[in-house]
Amino acid sequence: MFGAAFVLAGFLAALCAALFYIRYLYTPSERMLLAARMGFILAAISQTAASNILLYLILSHKFQYTYVWSYSSTTLSLPLLVSTFYAGQEGSFMLWTLFLSLMGIILLRYTAKHDCEAHVMAVFSLILSFLFFMSVVKNPFAYIWETYPLDVIQHGAVPPGIEHMIWLDQAKGIWARIPVLGRGLNPLLQNYWMVIHPQILFLGFSSVAVPFSFAVGGLLKKEYTAWSRIAVPWTVFGAMVLGAGIILGGYWAYETLGWGGFWGWDPVENSSLIPWLVCVASIHMMLVQRQNGTFVRMNFIFSMLPFMLVLYSTFLTRSGVLGDTSVHSFVDPGMWAYWLLLAFIFVFAVLGFGIFFKRMKEIPRVAVQHSLISREYVLFLGACALTGAALLVAVGTSSPIITSMMNGKPSAMDISYYVNTVLPFGIVITFLSAFAQLLWWKNSKTKPIMKQMALPAVLALIPTVIVLLMGRKEFLIHLFVYTASFSLFSNFQVIYEIRRANAQFGGGAVAHIGIALMCIGFVTSARYSEKKIVHLEHDRPLKTLGYQMTYRGFSLRDDGKYAFTVDVEQGGRKNSAAPTMYYSEQTQSVIRNPDILNFLHRDLYIEPLMLEDTSGGAEKQMTLPKDVLQEFEGLKLKFTGFEFSEEQRSAMMEGKPFELYAFVCVFEGMKDSTLSLKMESTKGRTAFLPLIYRAADLKQYEFTLNRVVPEEDSTKSEVEITVKRFSDQAVHKNDVLTIEATVKPYINLVWIGTVTLIFGFLLTIIRRAREAMKKES
Amino acid sequence: MNIKLVVGGVIIILGIVLGLVNFFDSNVEYGDFAQAKKTQKKIQVKGEWVKDRESSFDADKIQYTFYLKDDSGEILKVVLEGAKPNNFDLANSVVVKGKYMNDHFHATEVLTKCPSKYEGSSQQVKRTL
Repeated sequence: MFGAAFVLAGFLAALCAALFYIRYLYTPSERMLLAARMGFILAAISQTAASNILLYLILSHKFQYTYVWSYSSTTLSLPLLVSTFYAGQEGSFMLWTLFLSLMGIILLRYTAKHDCEAHVMAVFSLILSFLFFMSVVKNPFAYIWETYPLDVIQHGAVPPGIEHMIWLDQAKGIWARIPVLGRGLNPLLQNYWMVIHPQILFLGFSSVAVPFSFAVGGLLKKEYTAWSRIAVPWTVFGAMVLGAGIILGGYWAYETLGWGGFWGWDPVENSSLIPWLVCVASIHMMLVQRQNGTFVRMNFIFSMLPFMLVLYSTFLTRSGVLGDTSVHSFVDPGMWAYWLLLAFIFVFAVLGFGIFFKRMKEIPRVAVQHSLISREYVLFLGACALTGAALLVAVGTSSPIITSMMNGKPSAMDISYYVNTVLPFGIVITFLSAFAQLLWWKNSKTKPIMKQMALPAVLALIPTVIVLLMGRKEFLIHLFVYTASFSLFSNFQVIYEIRRANAQFGGGAVAHIGIALMCIGFVTSARYSEKKIVHLEHDRPLKTLGYQMTYRGFSLRDDGKYAFTVDVEQGGRKNSAAPTMYYSEQTQSVIRNPDILNFLHRDLYIEPLMLEDTSGGAEKQMTLPKDVLQEFEGLKLKFTGFEFSEEQRSAMMEGKPFELYAFVCVFEGMKDSTLSLKMESTKGRTAFLPLIYRAADLKQYEFTLNRVVPEEDSTKSEVEITVKRFSDQAVHKNDVLTIEATVKPYINLVWIGTVTLIFGFLLTIIRRAREAMKKES
Repeated sequence: MNIKLVVGGVIIILGIVLGLVNFFDSNVEYGDFAQAKKTQKKIQVKGEWVKDRESSFDADKIQYTFYLKDDSGEILKVVLEGAKPNNFDLANSVVVKGKYMNDHFHATEVLTKCPSKYEGSSQQVKRTL
């Protein structure tokens, strides 16, 4: 109740802040500015309070809230419990709003210092109020009896034994039952990546709202050039955080989800890649503007686009518009998300582009004065290539929408589309990221460039040849490896040349080195991976992919997962992998977690497929009508009746725990014995208890009830049971584990490249932020 | 100036062509088995798993074979590259992606639609009361 009130208060405060800031632009007064500031700060405080309330409800297991019930449970560990905050649609919008409002406080100080507070914060507050509005319409504070009235609301007296209930209207005798357990978190999300990855992504989503606000704010104030210098550190920050989020998501998919690789061109992955590519393009365009004042108009568009694309991506992945074409189906959106997100995009597109086209004529044009071989032009081409790649990915990701408009049925793209279209752009981009570094502003002479290019061009042949020798010849792939290596060595050369200058100047070169390493790693680990499916018999070594693998058995871990031990030996070095497999009640399916052995030059990726018992255990489901003999592997079985006492019967009527026995008689030769199979019911949950029967030949059988059908006329009663024969040897000596083993060469390049890239971004942020400061003083 | 425009223009046109060609080439359209037999392209067919026909897993080839009845009622053998998918027993509708080959549909990918994902929240509430 308080939670929803705080959300509403936050929405109103943010809206007031936006209105006061806009009013201030037309009639400046100190009071108006203070009021606007107060409004914004109040909005941030409200959102912090609302978030804390939600966190409290989750931590204290208040299952009367639908959201808490839907995603958490009493069995989750503390970090995972905290992460259920953003496991659903409503909570993740709460998190986004929280980050946006807290970032706004920093932005407020920053813009006040740079004398651009009112117009930037006006736009930013408007964005914040829109995000708040999403939570006003649908927030995580709905009660379970509002969501599922038919299931929990009761009338009349409360039967004894029900403690978890609440009176809705005691005078009328209306009350609701409250769940004692939560539904729990999707098992695929239950790992530490869930604890860190979404936050980073939402931080990235929040930070691209800043360049948008600067650009639209600049247009509002008719101040067309100064803003970009101040906005640059934020754009770089956005690109860094978003990039880190994307790669972390990729590592999650690789390491725990068992997708086989870190990138599957899934809509959810693409949807953060698209704004990132444009964000990076925008950084390069702003670099040109800073240098010689050109691209003023273009940079408005480039600064607005990342935020627009984040909105579009959110729409794609969270409105349900992609339907069944995505593997990610964590959330069940509902129409509210669809229309609100569409309205969100529409409003900000109209606002951003509308004001841009209105002001376009006023924006100063700076005549372009650079030649074909100049850094400006090459940077421009690079930005175009990045945008082009983003566009192609966007078209591919939107293909269910496009095809459903064309022929009425949504269909998705094959992954080959992305490889075929993005690869040529990748070649261009990596080449330009080297070429631009060697060029001078305005105009370059051809000869010295050739001279500078010579060494990297030769060195780049080395990785290319190494990849060529790995087998599988594909011209474009090798060209890509070559251009990436060329970029790698060229940027090293740049760092070598400027080593005596300020280290901060190397940010760009360091980031390029990171990207180049990642590109080479992508090719070697994905295109040159080797995959084998092997059957490992217990304790019998098998040679595959250059490794000697031995299956050593399995153990049931505390978390209920079966961990298989696979020893891996190569050249005298011994390692042990422990891939796991378990059955998830929640998704009613087997979940497989791979294990990865990380070597310096390659990863060995081991995914369990299945465990077979070759000694021939058997299992059968049988229906036993009363007093009819049935047979299972020589055992004769007969269901003879139930035991269900008056006492138990009345317990059942009162909704109290009760139990029931079904008697099954087993005839084996001359011997017969009666098994009492038990069913017990507590709080509406029914459990069937297995019973072990040891036959005369020492074989072990397990009997479990599946279903009971008691009838008034007891001769028509029947039961359904499962009989399972265990394998002869209890030590599982005959088990065969089938695994999929994959070798991923040089995958470490991807992770080293990622760290390098982020370091490069950091250097750039520091440099640009200092420059922005210096300009002021 | 002109050369720059030409270079930029060529790149843009190449990009658009590249995108269009691949878009129509890689788009996996929906169809039924009759259409799958006519085309060489990868196609996706929605249908129902025929549970009373044989289904088996070949552990050596890692192929799962089953029969699928498409929306126009035709029943065809489907050979899937890989193990029996999770949720397969619960799925009330199955989408297979692949090509028609000789006597069967050779699928590289299977999507399952499970009833549990779309309904049953109210049963789940009851279970946890």
